[in-house]
Amino acid sequence: MLEFLIPNNIICHAVEAMLFASIACSVLGVIITQMSISSIGFTMTHAAFAGASVGIFFGVSGTATAILASLIIAAILGPLSEKARMPTDTILGVLFGMMMAIAIFFVSYMQYLGTAVNASALLFGNVVSLYREEIYALAGISFVAILFVAIFAKEITAIIFNRKIAEAAGIRVRPIYYALLFMIAISVSLSLNIIGGLLLYVWLVTPAAIAYQFCTTVRGLFLSAPLIAGSVSVAGAWFGLQHSLPVGPLTAVAFSGLFLIAVLISPKRRVPKGA
Amino acid sequence: MTPGTIDLAGVSTAYEGSDLPVIRGISFSVAAGEFVVVGGPNGAGKTTLLETINGMLPITHGRATVCGLDVAASGTGVRTKVGYVIQNFAFDPLAPFTVGNVVIMGRYGILGYGRQPGEEDHRMAEEAMRLLGIEDLADRSIGKLSGGQQQKVLIAHNLAKKPEILLLDEPFSNLDLFTRSFVCDILTGIADAGCTVVMVSHAFDALPDREVRILAMKDGMLSLDARCRGDEVEEKIRNLSGSVHA
Repeated sequence: MLEFLIPNNIICHAVEAMLFASIACSVLGVIITQMSISSIGFTMTHAAFAGASVGIFFGVSGTATAILASLIIAAILGPLSEKARMPTDTILGVLFGMMMAIAIFFVSYMQYLGTAVNASALLFGNVVSLYREEIYALAGISFVAILFVAIFAKEITAIIFNRKIAEAAGIRVRPIYYALLFMIAISVSLSLNIIGGLLLYVWLVTPAAIAYQFCTTVRGLFLSAPLIAGSVSVAGAWFGLQHSLPVGPLTAVAFSGLFLIAVLISPKRRVPKGA
Repeated sequence: MTPGTIDLAGVSTAYEGSDLPVIRGISFSVAAGEFVVVGGPNGAGKTTLLETINGMLPITHGRATVCGLDVAASGTGVRTKVGYVIQNFAFDPLAPFTVGNVVIMGRYGILGYGRQPGEEDHRMAEEAMRLLGIEDLADRSIGKLSGGQQQKVLIAHNLAKKPEILLLDEPFSNLDLFTRSFVCDILTGIADAGCTVVMVSHAFDALPDREVRILAMKDGMLSLDARCRGDEVEEKIRNLSGSVHA
């Protein structure tokens, strides 16, 4: 898609993949960070990680099984958090532990069998190993995430302000919440091969957290977070590949550094002088 | 459709795992424009009663009809007609929401999916802010306001949708004496205009100077259903054995 800008095919594909993964994750990340349910991020990433590990173990497509596992978690997460009458974070903690255990079990077993090469890529990501179709799928989910936010902007705004107040106002909160879960499931599964299960959480949370230091409106958050995520990810991919550095960890460190700077210079945290 | 009416017939509401329903076999009817004060000790089921009326809690027994709608079957429909000012709220001081944003959100449920607020919606939101005297706060961040100001914003948020019924859970808890009286005058005004007001309160020092209905609750059941003037409510509630309030 961006070959006219970046002639080197490998770098071009890596940049495209990082760009689309970062847009999808950061747009959805604004919602989960504002709803204080960012643990959905690491639960979903580990569900995808567990699914992919199982898929690789059984010799089927890791991406397909990652999507399947994340969708199953998404499907049980909503009803379970309502039925169990426990905080969503507690449910997520339980599911996260279970998914991590499944992933570690299969990765360890594959290491024992001597077939763990692909599984370790799931942990740390591999930005140059993507098929063209996977990049198209990432572009598709980015577009769907943006469309979802645009169509349901007012409902999403009300829900992230206060879920109970939104429900009392007559907004159908549940369908929006479930749609969000399913989109996160697909986004993290498709991004798993690029960024890796251990780092994907950074893409979901940190761009939104950086944007939050500067934005005073929800609209501003939805515009800034993908812009920040896209810029840092593209720069990280380009710089990492140019200098043969691991792209995912390099970009994650850049995000974290940027977050620290953002907190330090945030105008929202400025204390007025005098008086 | 019966605007502004509440009919509860033997309604019980239970949480999963609880030994007994939180409210048990409650029956009463409220006519449009009534001003109802719900009293009773802590844990009597007052908040549960409000959330049962607006369909936010499952009804395990009995039947509730609000504004002519069956609450169990049409919870969302009921909530577009009923305002509910919640008791416990805490907003992040850095939250990206202005007072104007929050008040217009009161209209979102009525609009439904896909429709954006129009001129009429903004006019109603402005009208609600003017009524509460918070129009000068419209561009301020809600998280940086005092508890009393935030309480007024939430009342305006609910009035913006022109509810047929307004449920309020301890609306005076964050307000000073003067503001209590100011807000009570507003509630009296909307009740006089036909909006049913049902208010859970422990503060009886700023009730309307008109006939109000008292529903006192104890252990999840109604212990008193009476009518009196606003200044007699405290005495009536205190006279109930075992339910003395601060």
